[in-house]
Amino acid sequence: MTTTTTPAPPAATAPQPERKPPLAFTGLTRRQRLGKWDVKLSPYLYISPFFILFGLIGLFPLLYTFVVSLYDWHLLKGQGDFIGFDNFVAVLGDRFFWNSLGNTLSIFLLSSIPQLACAIVIAAILDQHLRAKTFWRMSVLLPYIVTPVAVSLIFTNMFNEQYGLINNFLGNFGIDAIPWKTETLPSHIAIATMVNFRWTGYNALILLAAMQSVPRDIHESAALDGAGAIRRFLSITIPSIKPTLIFVIITATIGGLQIFSEPRLFDPVTAGGNARQFQTTVLYLWEMAFFRLDFGKASAIAFLLFLIIMAIGFVNFLVTTRIGGSERTAKPGGKIGRTGTRTGTGTGTRKGLTK
Amino acid sequence: MTATTEVAAAVPLAAPPTSPDPRKPRLRRGGGGTFDRRPGFLTYGILGVLLLINVYPLWWSVVVGSRNNQALSSDWPPLLPGGNFWINVGEVMDSIPFWKALGNSLIISGVITVSVVLFSTLAGYAFAKLKFKGRNGLMVFVITTMAIPTQLGIIPLFILMKQWGWTGEIGAVIVPTLVTAFGVFFMRQYLVDVIPDELIEAARVDGASMIGTFWHVAVPAARPAMAILSLFTFMSAWTDFLWPLLVLDATNPTLQTALSQLQSARYVDFSIVLTGAVLSTLPLLILFFVAGRQLISGIMQGAVKG
Amino acid sequence: MRLSRRKTAALIAGTSALILVATGCSGGGESGGGDGEGDVNLTITTFGTFGYDDLYAEYEAANPGITITPNNIDTGGNARTDAFQKIASGGLSDVVAIEEGWLGAIQEVSSEFVDLNDYGAQDIKDNWVDWKFAQGTDAEGRVIGYGTDIGPQGLCYNRTLFEEAGFPSDRESVAELFGGEDATWEKYIELGKQYQAATGKAWIDQASFVWNSMINQLDEGYYTADGELNIEGNAEMEERWAQVNDMIASDLSAGSVRWDWGGGKEFVDGTFATFVCPGWMLGNIKTNLETGGGDASTGWDFADVFPGGASNWGGAFLSVAGSSEHPEEAAALATWLTAPEQQVKQFEAAGTFPSTIEAQETLASEAAPNELFGGAPVGAILASRAQGVTAQYKGPDDSVIQENVFQAVIDQIQSGDLNAETGWAEAMKLTDELVG
Repeated sequence: MTTTTTPAPPAATAPQPERKPPLAFTGLTRRQRLGKWDVKLSPYLYISPFFILFGLIGLFPLLYTFVVSLYDWHLLKGQGDFIGFDNFVAVLGDRFFWNSLGNTLSIFLLSSIPQLACAIVIAAILDQHLRAKTFWRMSVLLPYIVTPVAVSLIFTNMFNEQYGLINNFLGNFGIDAIPWKTETLPSHIAIATMVNFRWTGYNALILLAAMQSVPRDIHESAALDGAGAIRRFLSITIPSIKPTLIFVIITATIGGLQIFSEPRLFDPVTAGGNARQFQTTVLYLWEMAFFRLDFGKASAIAFLLFLIIMAIGFVNFLVTTRIGGSERTAKPGGKIGRTGTRTGTGTGTRKGLTK
Repeated sequence: MTATTEVAAAVPLAAPPTSPDPRKPRLRRGGGGTFDRRPGFLTYGILGVLLLINVYPLWWSVVVGSRNNQALSSDWPPLLPGGNFWINVGEVMDSIPFWKALGNSLIISGVITVSVVLFSTLAGYAFAKLKFKGRNGLMVFVITTMAIPTQLGIIPLFILMKQWGWTGEIGAVIVPTLVTAFGVFFMRQYLVDVIPDELIEAARVDGASMIGTFWHVAVPAARPAMAILSLFTFMSAWTDFLWPLLVLDATNPTLQTALSQLQSARYVDFSIVLTGAVLSTLPLLILFFVAGRQLISGIMQGAVKG
Repeated sequence: MRLSRRKTAALIAGTSALILVATGCSGGGESGGGDGEGDVNLTITTFGTFGYDDLYAEYEAANPGITITPNNIDTGGNARTDAFQKIASGGLSDVVAIEEGWLGAIQEVSSEFVDLNDYGAQDIKDNWVDWKFAQGTDAEGRVIGYGTDIGPQGLCYNRTLFEEAGFPSDRESVAELFGGEDATWEKYIELGKQYQAATGKAWIDQASFVWNSMINQLDEGYYTADGELNIEGNAEMEERWAQVNDMIASDLSAGSVRWDWGGGKEFVDGTFATFVCPGWMLGNIKTNLETGGGDASTGWDFADVFPGGASNWGGAFLSVAGSSEHPEEAAALATWLTAPEQQVKQFEAAGTFPSTIEAQETLASEAAPNELFGGAPVGAILASRAQGVTAQYKGPDDSVIQENVFQAVIDQIQSGDLNAETGWAEAMKLTDELVG
C-alpha cells in the first residue's frame, strides 16, 4: 500500500515556472489537469473504503434486520410469508422480552454505578505523587486484558453455589451459601461483578487522565482559601471530570445493553438461568434465533433493542449538551472548553466529548 | 463485531493532543489534593488491596489449574500452585484445538486492526484536512453512526454468510469489522489539530500528489494515534465472542469460542477449564508486560490529551 | 501518549511479525479436508459422556488416512442448539450425535441428513432392537440415524448412606425394599421420607430427573402417538406431578444444580442417597464421582429395580450430515461406531446401554462387575431393566418441553418461587408460549 496510485511525477516534467502559472495562460498542462482531478477526487477516494464497507457490513445488515422482522422467517426453512408487524406485536406482548430488558437494565445499573464510583475513587488515589506510578497503574489495568470469556469462566466457578470459592469463604464466617445462580438479585450481582472486575481499573485510568488535566492552580488557590482535600475533590475535581464521566456512561450504556458473554457462560446449560433470572436481551435474541429457530421474532427483538439503545443515546446526548453547557458557564475563567473550540495553548484545554 | 462499542468504550474522549508544546508546565501532573507531599501508608495500603483483588482471580485460576478439582472444596482455598499444571495443559490441548484457535485469533485481530487503522487514517485525514463537497454532512453521518450498535445486525449477517458459503471460515469473522465509525472519528479528531495546514500546502506546492502528501505528511504525524487505535481495535477483535460463536465451528474456532467449547466439553472438570482460561490469557499477559506502559498512556491519551 | 517514533515503529513491527507468524503457522495446517493425498478428516460432534475417545483412536489406527476430529458438548440441550445452528449455517460435523429427545425436531428437517440406505443400512437393520431402528427412520423411509444406546433405567443408591439410615444395603435387598417388580413411586417416596426423617438429608439431587423418568414411563408422553400435545388435562401426568411436588415439599430434594453437582462433589459428600439412572447416566456419575474426588469406597451401587416399572430415558443416534464432503467415510465411521462390538466397548467406557441385540446379549451374559458401583453387574442389570421398554413417541418439541418447560418450572418450585399449583399453571403457559 505504500507505493499506491499516483506516484509523484518526476521533477523534470515540472519545470519551475509552472508553479505560479500566469493567469493569462490559457490551457492547463496535462499534469495540472491530472493534479486537479487528484485534488478533487482524492478525498472521496480516501473516505470511500470506509463508507462502502460500513454501508455493506454495518448499516445494511442492521437495516435488513427490520426487513427480516416483517416476515415469518424460520432458521432452517428460510423466508416465509410477509406478516407486517406481527412479530413486533408478539415480542412486545412477550413477558420474556420484558423480563430480559429488566435483567439487562438491572445488571447494567449494578455494574455501572459501583464501577464508576470505584473508578473515581481509584483515580483520585492514583492522582497523587506516587512512587512506582506505572506499576500501580498497570496493576489497576491488569483485569482489562483478561477477556470477558475468561473472566466469565473464572468467576462462574468462584460463584458456584456448592463448593464455589466465594460461598466456601463465606461459610468460614458462618454465612449461609448465597444462591448466586438460582436467585435473581444475587445472579445479577455476580454478573455485574464480572463486568466490574474487567472495566473498573480501565475507567479509573480514563478518569485519572481527566483529573490530571484539571489546572493545578485551581487546586492551589482553593487550598490557600482553606478548602480541605475532600472539599476540593467534591467541588473542583468532580465537576471538572463530569464531561469525561458522562462519556464513560454513554459508552458503558451502549455496551452494557448488549451484554452476552457473561450471562451466557454463567450457566452454560440454560440461556440465562432456569427461570430466566439473568437472561439478558441479547441472550434472549440468541435463544429466539438459534433455539426457537425464529429469525423473524429474533430480528424484531434486535430492532427493538436497537431503537432502545438509540433512544437512550439521544437522551444522553441531550443531557450531556445541557450539563456541558451549564458547566461552561459555571467554570471560572472558562478554562474548560466543552467542545472542539481550542482555547489557545492553555494547560486546561480539553476536547469535548459529545461532538 | 463488538468492535465499535468496545473501542468506543475504550476511548471516551477522543481528543488530539494539545498543540505539541514542549514547554508544557510539568507541575500540572498529579493535581490531586496533596500536591507535592508524598502520599502515606493509607494510599499504598488501599492500592495494595486493589492489586490483590485484581490479581487474585488470575492467581486462583493458576492455583486450581495446577491442581485438581479437590482444590475447590476446601474451606480455605489453597494459595500455592500444585503439580498438575502440565497434565491439565495436556487435557486442554486434547479437548480444544488450542494452537489453531490462537492462530485464528491472531489473524482475525491482526487483519481487522490493519484494516480499521488504514481506512480510518485515510478517511480521518480526508475529513480533517481536505476540502470537498459534502464533507460536513458526511462527518455528521460518521458521528451519528458511532452510537449505532451495528452488531445487532447479526441475523442478516448470518444469512449473508451462509449464502456466501463463508460460515466456518475466519473470513466471516473478519469482514463485518473491517471498518468502524469510531476509528474514523478518532483519527479525524487527532489529525485536525496535529497537522498544520501549511505543511500540507507546502508538500503540494513541492509537487507531491495527494496520496504522496498523505503518505509523507499525514501518516508520520498520525503514528501515535494509529498506535492507540491499533491497540484498542486489536483488543476488541480479540475479545469478540458472540459473532464468532455463531459463524465458526468447533474445528476452526477463535480463542474465545474455543474456551467456551472447553467449558462445555469439560464441564465438571473445573481445574482443566481454569487451565484453559489461564493459557488463553497468557498471550495478552505477555503483551501487557511488554507494552503495558504504552497501553496505559494510550488509554489516558485517548481519554484526554496529555 | 508520548510514544517515541522508535517505539511506535517497534510496536507496529512487532504486531506485523505476530500476524505473519500466525499466518505462516496456520497456513500449513488449515487444509480442512486433510493433509496428505487421499487423507480424510472426519469431524464428529457428541454430547455428555459418550465414551468414544478410545474408539476414535482404534478406528484411526485401523483406517490409515482417516483422522477424526471430535467435539463434545456438555449436554443434550446445548447439542441441540448447536446442531440447529450448524444446520442453518451449513457447518454440521460429518457425523452428528442426535438425542432421542430432539430427534422429533430433526425429523422435520431429515433431508439435511444423508439417507443411510445408500450406505448399506438395510443390511445391518436387524442388528438393532426394532423400535430403535424405526426411530431413526423418517416418514419417507430414509434412514437418518443409527442407534447408539438406549436408556433403560435402574436405581443408583449409596450403600453407605443407606446403612447410616438403617436401610438394607446389598443390591438384592434394596431391590426388594423398593418392591422388586412391583416397585412404585409411592413406595419410593415413602422410603425417601423415612430416610429424610432418619438422617435429615435429601433423598434425590433434584426433582426434574425423577419427573423425566416418570414421563418416559408413560405409554404416551408430552405428545400422543399421533403427534398431538398431550399435557393439559392429562390426569396421569397430573398425578405424577403431585408426586414430584410431594417429594419437593417433603424436603426430599437437595435442589442441586444438575450437570454440575458442585463439580461432582455432591456425589461424594452424601448430599443425596439415590439417583434415577439410565445407562448413560452411569458414565456421567463416574465422571462426576471421579472429579469430585470419590471412588468405589464412596459407596454408590446399582440396583435392578425401578419405581413404576420399566422406563427408557434418552439414548442417541449417529447421523451423517448432508453437507459432509465425505459422506461415504462418515457413514462407514457411524456404522462402525454403532456396531455391536463397539457398543459393548462404549458401554464399558461410559455405561451407555447398547441398542443392538447382540451387544445387549453380550452384556447380559458377561455380567462383568463394575468396581465403581460396588461390583454391580451393571450390564446385566441394565439388560434386565430393558425388558419391557418400548419407544415412546417423541414430538418435535419434546426436549423443549422437558428442559425449558418442566425442568425450568420444577427448579422454580424447588427454590420456592412457585408451588405445585402455580407451577403447573406456569408449565401450561410456558408450553403455550414456547411450543404453541
